Amino acid sequence: MGLSGSGKSTLLRMLNGLSEPTAGRVLYDGQDLTALSASELREVRSRHISMVFQHFALFPHRSVLENAGYGLEVRGVPRAEREARAAEALELAGLKGWETSWPDELSGGMQQRVGLARALATDADLLLMDESFSALDPLIRRDMQDQLLDLQKRLKKTIVFITHDLNEAMRLGDRIAVMRDGRIVQNGTAEDILVRPANDYVASFIQDVDRSRVLTAGSIMDAPDGAAGVPDGAATVSAETPVAELFTPFSRSGAPVGVTGEDGKPAGVVTRDRLLAALAEPATDATDAPDATDATDATDADVTAVTEVTAGA
Amino acid sequence: MPRINLGGWAESAVGWLQSHLSWLFDAVSTVLTGMYDGVGAALGAPDALLMAGILAVIAWWLRGLLAAVLAFAGLALIDSFGLWDRATSTLALILVASVITLALAVPLGIWAARNKRVSAVLRPVLDVMQTMPAFVYLIPGVMFFSIGPMPGLIATIVFSMPPGVRMTELGIRQVDAELVEAARAFGTTPRDTLLRVQLPLALPTIMAGVNQVIMLALSMVVIAGMAGAGGLGESVYAAVTQVDIGGGVESGLAVVVLAMYLDRMTGALGKRVSPLGRRAAAKSAAATGPAPKFLSYRPGTAVATVGVVVLALVAGGMHLAQGDGDRRSVAAGKNVGQGQRVKLGYFPWDEAVASTYLWQNVLERRGYQPDVKQLDPGPLYTALAQGQMDLQFDSWLPTTHKQYLDRYGDKLSDLGSWYGPTSLELTVPSYVKGVDSLADLKGKGAQFGGKIVGIESSAGMMAKLNDKVLKEYGLEGEYEVVSSSTSTMLAELDRAIKKKEPVVTTLWSPHWAYGTYDLKKLKDPKGAWGEGEQIHAIGKKSFAKDFPRVAEWVKNFKMSEKDLSSLEAAIQKGGKGKEKASAAAWLDARPGLVDKLAPVGA
Repeated sequence: MGLSGSGKSTLLRMLNGLSEPTAGRVLYDGQDLTALSASELREVRSRHISMVFQHFALFPHRSVLENAGYGLEVRGVPRAEREARAAEALELAGLKGWETSWPDELSGGMQQRVGLARALATDADLLLMDESFSALDPLIRRDMQDQLLDLQKRLKKTIVFITHDLNEAMRLGDRIAVMRDGRIVQNGTAEDILVRPANDYVASFIQDVDRSRVLTAGSIMDAPDGAAGVPDGAATVSAETPVAELFTPFSRSGAPVGVTGEDGKPAGVVTRDRLLAALAEPATDATDAPDATDATDATDADVTAVTEVTAGA
Repeated sequence: MPRINLGGWAESAVGWLQSHLSWLFDAVSTVLTGMYDGVGAALGAPDALLMAGILAVIAWWLRGLLAAVLAFAGLALIDSFGLWDRATSTLALILVASVITLALAVPLGIWAARNKRVSAVLRPVLDVMQTMPAFVYLIPGVMFFSIGPMPGLIATIVFSMPPGVRMTELGIRQVDAELVEAARAFGTTPRDTLLRVQLPLALPTIMAGVNQVIMLALSMVVIAGMAGAGGLGESVYAAVTQVDIGGGVESGLAVVVLAMYLDRMTGALGKRVSPLGRRAAAKSAAATGPAPKFLSYRPGTAVATVGVVVLALVAGGMHLAQGDGDRRSVAAGKNVGQGQRVKLGYFPWDEAVASTYLWQNVLERRGYQPDVKQLDPGPLYTALAQGQMDLQFDSWLPTTHKQYLDRYGDKLSDLGSWYGPTSLELTVPSYVKGVDSLADLKGKGAQFGGKIVGIESSAGMMAKLNDKVLKEYGLEGEYEVVSSSTSTMLAELDRAIKKKEPVVTTLWSPHWAYGTYDLKKLKDPKGAWGEGEQIHAIGKKSFAKDFPRVAEWVKNFKMSEKDLSSLEAAIQKGGKGKEKASAAAWLDARPGLVDKLAPVGA
């Protein structure tokens, strides 16, 4: 995530070799992509890494089905198999029944679904998405985000998603790398960035973010053995509950709320004071964000930082 | 600024190429001429109306019924003008030139689109090709490839190539960069990117380039007609040089019909072959709603193919049934030629037309197969010097054609004079009173607007007029010689006479103008124009060896002014395209003349 000109798209294109890094390596599954020959690189692109574009980049002279099957066609998959897999991918993307249409007959959201289906059809392990939802209007964008999260749960792909919209990044990303002037200035989870912004730049960025929707109970809780114990009969929530949903229990009583972990056992407790503190503007002193300082200071090529993102996702 | 002798270098380069690479030119020429002949034969084989039917079916397939009807009407019009054969050879020339042009231009355009340096190098080359006047390479073309369709073909290819290259490059560059990136991102090879993404998307632009290539090729055929390319170009050129307005309009119209047909058809073809074009057509059809069924109906590809094949088969059948009953029988004992081919060339001067067609008839009756070809003087002398032509009858010596004899004299053989002396003169209409000799012009400059209407500035008589005649009579300063062209001069003469305006023009005898208008040759008491010239027959170097009998006959050939003018008048009256028949009739009206011109036996 970063503003335009921060180098996100360039970085993304280095991951599949569309742009060549002037220095450094791109490691994918232990393989250095920058060392591959042109044909080996094409092989990686057609089998392992696929891409979704900002302006959809659908081929206007091909039907929806032919567009979805493009990657397979290039790879030389026989027609019958290719069409079956393309139709399957279109169904995943929610476009069943539109196979014989032409791209120019579809709305923007539907066109991007075709773009998504095209990327899914090759069954690549890594999806690169370059501001893929930026050209869509907000309602459609939200739909697409939900669908992407849903697909991700089912298909378990690694996705590198480029965006300039922090809310989108917070919504979609397990980990977020914030870029500025060709560098990654902070690399961490949404909460890391919100709670412990690495520097003023990141802090100014997150001003407009609705923190109550991004922060979860788990991220702001204190240990259960802390100063305030969990009173009997107090409300409990799961660790993933957004902070916004804690307002209701706190409005009923001032008592702390218990937080349970994935196993259902008590994991911590959130007090009203803690909640208010978490929603307040974050402090930007370095001690609050040790990870981020590391990332800022990293002098290694940017690419290394990003491979870490993909590996961790 | 020192003189940079670029022209001299070009000349010696042409000479070097001619002597060292003739095998290459011959090979190219063989291939291209073969293609041209093949296509020409295929187009010309069916009966005119059947061929028009075939082309109309294609129009129906591509555009619909209305286009088919119009195409048939236009093509039938060409046939009714008697220009069908010329139109088919023009069409063959265009098709062959366009195919070769595109075979070169599209790959070049692709290369230029993918490589900036190639693009930068090509751009000025294409500019030169497009703007260099065609005449400049038409003559070297004749030197390399002999007269006939080849120089015209080369000129056409050179001239029409630039839009093909440019539009291909533009089309490919215009393809959305994100689409090309998408292709790459899915592991497409550069070749497949070109074939599956760039070319299909560039196709509408490339087809617009194809369309331009064909249109430029068509505009070039007229110029190619001057180098013996034949076809409609030759008709237009002949009509222009002979101030034959009717003929010019008819052959010009035939060119227009062909142009419109080719333009509309290639435009429609662009829509048919490109997926984007089909898509756009389907969209607009959906938007405009149903048109009248019978007008918009277009046969499918299969139906259209069947239609074309059936018509072609009918044509083939008719062709076989017709056989070749056209052969003229030669009287027994007079078949001297035994079918030997003689290539006669002429440029469209009246005495050249007259004498050439006269001899075509005579030689045919002696068993030769004379081919007659119209050329400009430059290409004709070049062809004779190279032995690609055998004989021509209209060499004005020692003055008018001196330049050619100086250049090629040792590669030609002079078969002697058959008419003379000729004369050069200034002429006024006889209604211009008080001007009977060159001396009378003095002081009357205002009456003639200070102008003497001349012909081509390259003509020998123009130099003589400026350098000598005007000086002798003290007319310089008072008169300006306006150089134009023979046809413009004659048109100006005609215009002035119709309005009874005073006019003074350059003219020469023999000339049909003296028979058509009431003119006065201005006397030349000082002899400034010099002696009259003789009209010689000039053959290639080995003419006497290759055609001993013909050489003998031509050496003895003489014609009086009376005979020549009656022959010229007969041909003028017979009309364009019937020169041979007119000369035959003139010959038949003079029994014994053939035996006198070409005696056989002891």
